[in-house]
Amino acid sequence: MADGSSAPPAGGVDVLIAEDSRMQAKILQKRLTDAGHVVRWAENGALALDMARERRPEIIISDIEMPVATGYDFCKAVKTDPALRSVPFILLSTLSDPIDIIRGLDAGADNYVTKPYEPDYLLGRMRALLATPLGGDDEAAAATLEVSLAGQKFKVKAGRQQVLNLLVSTFENAVTKNQELVVANQELSVARDSLQKTNEELVTLNAEISRINSQMVRDLEAAAKVQRSLLPADQVALPSLDVAWRYVPCQSLAGDFLNVFPLDEERVGLFVVDVSGHGVPSSLMAVTVGRFLTPKVADSSLLVRQAADGRVVVASPAEVATQLNKLFQADEFSGLYFTMLYGVLHLPSGRLDYVSGGHPALVRIPAAGGPPEFHGAEGFPIAFVPDVQYEQKSLQLEPGDRIYLYSDGVPEAMDKDREPYGEEQMAACIAGGRGGPLGGSVAALLEAVEIWCRPEGPLDDVTILGVEWRP
Amino acid sequence: MDQFRRIQTGKKGDVFMVLFKDKKILDDTVLDEIRGELTQFLGKASGPDVLLDFSEVEFMSSAMLGLLGQLHRKVSGGQGRLRMCGIRPEIFQVFKLTNLDKLFSIHKDAPAALATFT
Repeated sequence: MADGSSAPPAGGVDVLIAEDSRMQAKILQKRLTDAGHVVRWAENGALALDMARERRPEIIISDIEMPVATGYDFCKAVKTDPALRSVPFILLSTLSDPIDIIRGLDAGADNYVTKPYEPDYLLGRMRALLATPLGGDDEAAAATLEVSLAGQKFKVKAGRQQVLNLLVSTFENAVTKNQELVVANQELSVARDSLQKTNEELVTLNAEISRINSQMVRDLEAAAKVQRSLLPADQVALPSLDVAWRYVPCQSLAGDFLNVFPLDEERVGLFVVDVSGHGVPSSLMAVTVGRFLTPKVADSSLLVRQAADGRVVVASPAEVATQLNKLFQADEFSGLYFTMLYGVLHLPSGRLDYVSGGHPALVRIPAAGGPPEFHGAEGFPIAFVPDVQYEQKSLQLEPGDRIYLYSDGVPEAMDKDREPYGEEQMAACIAGGRGGPLGGSVAALLEAVEIWCRPEGPLDDVTILGVEWRP
Repeated sequence: MDQFRRIQTGKKGDVFMVLFKDKKILDDTVLDEIRGELTQFLGKASGPDVLLDFSEVEFMSSAMLGLLGQLHRKVSGGQGRLRMCGIRPEIFQVFKLTNLDKLFSIHKDAPAALATFT
């Protein structure tokens, strides 16, 4: 509490504060002391009244919500005390309810300052009040007014000066709050404009992304279409050979492909190719490889060429693999390579010549019965090691024999515990279909792989090609 | 000197030692990071002797073989030697299916592999 005994310096007045919050009282006290006033502080209305009676202050600033005696009680007591009634009285109010004004009027308050307030504004209100001293007699003779607010009637006994002061203060308060609202509104408006601009930019960006996306989808669809052209026709009709195949890419673009086609009057070429990796780079390589594995006599074909006398010459599988390996040796190895099993089947004799570039062994199901057989050939993946000669092998088929070519997506298919499907289960599945049609056995193997990979499905392309020699 | 996320590195004499930290080398992102880190580790060394330790690796895609092919070329192109070790049976299967077990020099463990450099 400030020492009330010292007289205020020039321009300063004797101020009494009633405020139950020590913190708020301290802040206000400091501001007033800095402005040259002498300040006394009481923590409730009752104590404040005692202090006012002990020495008459020149102005009173009081909070409303306080223990023991509220600001209204304190104000009423001051305004009914003949010795104190002309002391200007400022109520600090949150003014959350219009009835507060009526209560203030009824209590005889001269001024409202709404909390939170700017200290300078409060000091301004103080100066204004001190400049217009209150006439004591006029106030004493004040008539009782009846005011109706929010459906309630209030009897208010207030002097003209008091009503005027309070009205002005309420009005000023409203103006101040309105200005704050205007500023806040402007800030909101700026924020809204900026949001709108950002939103427009987002819409533009979104449209751009959507455009690029649909372009990419179109490109992928076109690429997938090109890739499908590498596959056999739906119905492969070859004399003395049944063909069935299934091909399930794990993405829209695959690294796997297969084909089976006649090379000349007597021979059929068949292969499964598996380019490492997935997606665009792998599928681009697959399409490029496919150009060389064509049965059409053309410059690009490695499988057939036209001899000087016009006859079509079929290249041996070993030759094909060696040539492909040469063609796909880049100066800087991209890390992309492919495995391939390529065979040439001589239809009249049933002899299969084949080569493997790091590809899983083919499975033969003998028509005569007996367990499935794996037939592989040694050879590194193609494009992997420069200057290798590929070794060619031969397999003599018996009438009714079936052979199956596949990509590693079949035996390496992993279940949810990452256990591979395995060559043994694969061979057993194929062998299980030996009594039924060829197409059924290929479909059954694909289904077995898909069941094995549940629930995620295969992570690699799955390619299966089965043929049955029926001379 | 271990500043890499995918590989643990060290030198034993002139041999660049690499241990793959990942249990699974399956997706392209991991593969690209390994490729970048190997390039950084081997730097400008021409024909270095390199030992790759797979003892942490449980699953590996066949695309990883392509990376090993790149490394094989870089190493053997400069008369260096590439050795591999710690390959568990499931991983060895990936090499075997592609016949690459016959291209690469594969050993039981790091001491056995290191002994072959002398």
